[in-house]
Amino acid sequence: MRYYSIGIFKKTNISLLILFVLFSLTSLTGCVDEDQYADNPKGNFEALWSIIDQHYCFFDYKAQQYGLDWNEVHTRYAKQINGEMTDAQLFEVLGNMLSELRDGHVNMYSSFDVARNWSWHENYPSNVSDSLITKYLGTDYKIANGMKYRVLDDNIGYIRCSTFEGKLGSGNLDEIMSSLLLTRGLIIDIRDNTGGMMTSAEEFAARFTNKKLLVGYMQHKTGKGHDDFSSLQEQYLEPSTGIRWQKSVIILTNRSVYSAANEFVKYMKCCPNVMTVGDKTGGGAGMPFSSEIPIGWGIRFSACPIFDKNKASTEFGIAPDYKVDMTTTDFYHGKDTIIEFARNLLSK
Amino acid sequence: MKIKTIKNRILLMLPILMCNMSMNAQTDSLMFGDKFITNRKMIGIGTTNILDTYLSPEKYTGTDVRYMSHTLRQRQGNRFIYELVHQGNISYIDNRSGDGKEMSGNYNFQYGVHYLFNTWNIGSNQLLLEAGGNVEANVGFIYNTRNGNNPAQARAFINIVPTAALEYNFHNPFHSGAYRDFKLRYEIGIPVAGIMFSPNYGQSYYEIFSEGNYDHNVCFTHPGNAPSLRNMLTFDFPLLHSTFSIGYLGEFQQARVNNLKQHVYTHAIMIGIVKTFKLIKVRK
Repeated sequence: MRYYSIGIFKKTNISLLILFVLFSLTSLTGCVDEDQYADNPKGNFEALWSIIDQHYCFFDYKAQQYGLDWNEVHTRYAKQINGEMTDAQLFEVLGNMLSELRDGHVNMYSSFDVARNWSWHENYPSNVSDSLITKYLGTDYKIANGMKYRVLDDNIGYIRCSTFEGKLGSGNLDEIMSSLLLTRGLIIDIRDNTGGMMTSAEEFAARFTNKKLLVGYMQHKTGKGHDDFSSLQEQYLEPSTGIRWQKSVIILTNRSVYSAANEFVKYMKCCPNVMTVGDKTGGGAGMPFSSEIPIGWGIRFSACPIFDKNKASTEFGIAPDYKVDMTTTDFYHGKDTIIEFARNLLSK
Repeated sequence: MKIKTIKNRILLMLPILMCNMSMNAQTDSLMFGDKFITNRKMIGIGTTNILDTYLSPEKYTGTDVRYMSHTLRQRQGNRFIYELVHQGNISYIDNRSGDGKEMSGNYNFQYGVHYLFNTWNIGSNQLLLEAGGNVEANVGFIYNTRNGNNPAQARAFINIVPTAALEYNFHNPFHSGAYRDFKLRYEIGIPVAGIMFSPNYGQSYYEIFSEGNYDHNVCFTHPGNAPSLRNMLTFDFPLLHSTFSIGYLGEFQQARVNNLKQHVYTHAIMIGIVKTFKLIKVRK
């Protein structure tokens, strides 16, 4: 192709070339980068401590509750780190450091172990028996989207919801509600439900209100400081457009009700005709985030605090309306004390 | 009746045939006012280094594969050159321990205009300097394969990008001819203002999209908080009755918004084919 010449060489045009070069050079300034810790015991310790220091959302709350001081934790655990540690020893020390947060959403994942603090349920009676639940369900129960349900002998609906890991379908809930429509009341057994998707908990709870409800607040970190939080944003529960339950509902809880299941209890306590029976929930009111340290171990921690409608934290659980524990006598007689208590309440 | 119709048709076709002949005669050279389009289709492979502190404080590195369609539209004798760039890339990257993987993908669209500031004739070769501005729009994602509640980061931005290009058209040094067969082109663009999407420092996507909570998720960007640069050097050469292009693409996208840091540094070797079209008007 022949090019059409539209100019000749002029001294003044050198300035254009100089401008071009300057334009190129100015772009080379200014790097957005992150200092990376060394992949050795000291570097991994500092990386983990910093990630939690900059992102964890319950420092103030836990300082009030049991005097957590993250700087003091650093001083205490730094002494246990040395360059000759094996990976297993390092994992143990770092896991112990994370346990200081007393948070079920705080974990560290390696190829050989998961560091956790499950004191929120391990230190308490389980208040649930799979054998007894199996006995109440019998063999002719129905299953929809992971939820098992049936009508008990005294015409009370029973739904066993053991997880919110999957997405609850609106159609499934319509079918379940339709099936239990003629019962006197409903028992929703969420004992040992350790959570999953908050949207599933919302979807289910939306079946129990006819109007938009303020159910709580949430916020998130806006910076590295322990006090850097956004303003509290309202959480609303919108009524479902599907079939909505209008009769009494009893939620069965124990210490293993955690995270999204804890949220479900929080939502349900705002709905009419709802009571909770059993043990206090396990809590877990911080939506978790993930990160990692140089050695490649994954980290999970609470990042976004969630509050109830009174702006109180539910991190350490929600108390039931009726505190009921399973009794050994009932267990040996093949009875679930908590289910029986709920049936009596609904029969009144 | 039939003979008359055929005769009329031949008379009607004559000017068209003559016109077509004259057009064929013109394809060898460009006349003043002719519109021509240079399209460069390239594929590239390179290395990329990605940091996104929303997902991880670790940098991820790996292979980047991309496709680019770069088009310049200009009219002979007119100093304005219109630029249109489509670019898509994917990368599969891992962290330094090798225990974490990320996938990244982007589509980038650029449209703008250059002004041909000057042309220097250096012997029988030619150096051109163009400068102008583009508008750039980008959508993409980074997916971290093992993160739980924050597994992915969405990328979306619109930038105003001043651009400049130097182009050197030169003869085949081994066979000097009438045409400038070889071309070296260096183009650089630096975003000066824009808007980008970003979650806030510890804000989950659940809050943004399920709860509808806005918190500075549309951020104003400028060289102070998003010093970025894209540059490309290409060398076009004729081979087997076609024009091929080989080049280097350097992309340095950075941002520091909402206390989050992001960077994508990519160096890629690009190869492709260059086609030049001349547009003609056909009157029916």
